[in-house]
Amino acid sequence: MSIPAEQRQREFESEALVHLDALYGLALRLSGGDEPRAEDLVQEAVLKAYRAWDRFESGTNCRAWLMTILRNTFINQFRRQKARPVPVEFEQVAERPSSEALYEADPEGQIFDRIIDDQVIAAIDELPEEFRVAVVLSDLEGLSYQEVAELMGIPVGTVKSRLFRARKRLQERLYDYAVEMGYLR
Amino acid sequence: MSECGTQPPDGSRSGEPELTCEQSLARVYEYLDGELDTAEHDAVRRHLEKCRKCYPHFDFERLFLDYVHELGAGEESRPGLADRVRDMLAAEKS
Repeated sequence: MSIPAEQRQREFESEALVHLDALYGLALRLSGGDEPRAEDLVQEAVLKAYRAWDRFESGTNCRAWLMTILRNTFINQFRRQKARPVPVEFEQVAERPSSEALYEADPEGQIFDRIIDDQVIAAIDELPEEFRVAVVLSDLEGLSYQEVAELMGIPVGTVKSRLFRARKRLQERLYDYAVEMGYLR
Repeated sequence: MSECGTQPPDGSRSGEPELTCEQSLARVYEYLDGELDTAEHDAVRRHLEKCRKCYPHFDFERLFLDYVHELGAGEESRPGLADRVRDMLAAEKS
């Protein structure tokens, strides 16, 4: 039975559009802080969700459903792009002793109580896209290696190595911030 | 607990293979992410129970991952986005 268009839109607005800020938050992280790109992504995902609204099962988790649509929308764009070369500094990060500097300077991890979230977000945004997407999906969104691998269309081993390098890079950046802010010397 | 450097900690009576510090640290993220199979997970856990060099390192990495996970993608607002989305939906409807 089809629902009248106006009722359908009202339902969609009251159930789905309340999650707009969450969708935009995820879009912004996936796109590395690129606001116009993140907005385009949200618009495209919301339109897809609206067109599929009849198939949404009322009473189930609307936010999770929308986030999945947004993730898939981003990934479709991501996979259409040509493979980008990985910056040399990322290939070598495992060999860089500075990636252990944070642990050596602050083994108890006190920095995690003091660092400003925006600085960490900026560090995530600055990661090369292949690494950032893996971190966002795995570390921010909690997906398994297998789920990240399937979404990104890469082997699980590549997910592991990207996460390793990206996390070490984030720790390097956290170390730099901690020194700048005077938390560490 | 012992300072075991890169050598396997001694005291294995179970007959299970012992991991070196290097082997354990190479698995730190898979261990903390719950991505190791049971045998490997147990091997790392046995190493951590004995090695005072690796244990704090794993603890530190756990704090780091917990911090990033709690940060999450979060919610962000963008001025005018809700209005533009509603306009788009109205255009779609018509």
